[in-house]
Amino acid sequence: MKGEASMVTLTIDGRTVQAEEGAMVLDVATENGIFIPTLCAHESVTPYGACRLCLVEVKTANGRERLVTSCLYPVEEGLEVTTDSEKIIRNRQTIIDLLLARCPESTVIQDMARKLGVEESSYPLEDHGNCILCALCVRACQEVVGVSAISLVNRGVEREMAIPFFDDSTACIACGSCSYICPTNAISMEDSDGIRTIRMPNNVTEFEMVPCKVCGNYWMPQKQVEYISKTTGIEPEFFDTCTNCRD
Amino acid sequence: MQNYTVFVPRLVPKKEPFAPGHRACIGCGEALAVRLACKAFPPNTIVANATGCMEVISSQYPMTAWRVPWIHVLFENTAAIASGIEAALKAMARKGLRPDDGTKVVAMGGDGGTSDIGLQALSGALERGHDLLYICFDNEAYMNTGIQRSSATPFGASTTTSPSGIKSIGQKTWKKNMAAIAAAHDIPYVATASHSYPHDLMAKVAKGIAVPGPAYIHILSVCPTGWRSAPDLSIRLGRLAVETGVFPLYEIEDGEYKMSLELPKLRPVEDYLNLQGRFRHLSEDTIKEIQERVVAEYERIKEKTG
Repeated sequence: MKGEASMVTLTIDGRTVQAEEGAMVLDVATENGIFIPTLCAHESVTPYGACRLCLVEVKTANGRERLVTSCLYPVEEGLEVTTDSEKIIRNRQTIIDLLLARCPESTVIQDMARKLGVEESSYPLEDHGNCILCALCVRACQEVVGVSAISLVNRGVEREMAIPFFDDSTACIACGSCSYICPTNAISMEDSDGIRTIRMPNNVTEFEMVPCKVCGNYWMPQKQVEYISKTTGIEPEFFDTCTNCRD
Repeated sequence: MQNYTVFVPRLVPKKEPFAPGHRACIGCGEALAVRLACKAFPPNTIVANATGCMEVISSQYPMTAWRVPWIHVLFENTAAIASGIEAALKAMARKGLRPDDGTKVVAMGGDGGTSDIGLQALSGALERGHDLLYICFDNEAYMNTGIQRSSATPFGASTTTSPSGIKSIGQKTWKKNMAAIAAAHDIPYVATASHSYPHDLMAKVAKGIAVPGPAYIHILSVCPTGWRSAPDLSIRLGRLAVETGVFPLYEIEDGEYKMSLELPKLRPVEDYLNLQGRFRHLSEDTIKEIQERVVAEYERIKEKTG
């Protein structure tokens, strides 16, 4: 329960703040109005530390100093956090520089780069679409939706986000959570003429939609009807009429 | 617009800058619209709120529902005060009194505060090019004082100052097109939204705040009290307003029109009108007249999207 959790005191950029034990430095800083850039943090899924932009310098009560990703570093008593030292700014610039080289077309990355003081990438430009491999989509599909229809495959430079074998969308229920949560708009979802199309960086999948018996508008993917009736026990016929046409 | 349902609502921001426990009526669409809009605000946002339902229900002394810096202003000067705040932030940053931390300014008003009383201040703010977002929560009459007609009240609606009767069909004029008036100022972003399409609404508010320069968003907010509709139909009415073409959802970015929702065919307006007591008296001829006008207006906007 709130209020019962033990509180710890730490300093962020010289400011003394109180935080609940177990909270991550990034969340505490944001709550206190201190800006730390990030692309891969989301309150609905577990932190992952993929984009590395939220680097901060910490000094523990024992005097140990190092650079850590603040989205994964829990607060502790007497911790001293610095978010804007010369070293951090330089490190963040290198990271966003690399991301910009990977996704030169992404407006989100371009904006973030400008914000961090990088106008142009100093590395050879590549073309990987807009995906920065932050795994937000994978985490949302696993933790929030619970179907794990997508995952990150391969290692190192060949790593990419994909559905099983790049073409098996059996587990996907076409909910679009991956498209919604993607920070760089690498995944899109579009409904047209009774077909829902979900475009991923290396795959395009089409899903059939169910039309409403009364008004005729396509309103829900067939896969979702099956999934919901399977998990809740509601008859599939219930989804024959859309929410606007029900009594 | 993406039709996000089932699991996506679990991914929207959990913070509630517009706190629950306020005193809006049961089924209030406007309170829902404000709540959704506030979720889309960046961390540092100042709100200037005109007199109206939202101010009355959210701030009875000594309580408040606002977890963001919020100022209650008069009907007529919402946009002027918001421009003042924005100008002050800029001036203080210039003089080094305050760091330029990207604090955003949002002005909010009802349809009365926007299209009637506050129109000249709004026009001034848009023309001067202040970096602010103006949101109009349009429930189509002065609901908080007892359902008096405004210039945003639709044709045929019965209100206390445009009552229906033997010699009157209710409101005799058509709804003022505020989005077009805002767009006529050549501002970077104008949009219409509805609380029944929550993800679209949040995306539009976030976009409106992010664009440099003035932005205007017109949100149709269902009012069960004033529309004489059942409170459990608020969401459906919002959707029907869009699907019948009565309130099309579109964006105008730098003068370019873009439909937010492609509708293969429009529903008949009866679907929307029949659920509301304020249209109960309408004759078939009047409904036909409304239907023709709605289709013509819809086609006109669609043509602009080209």
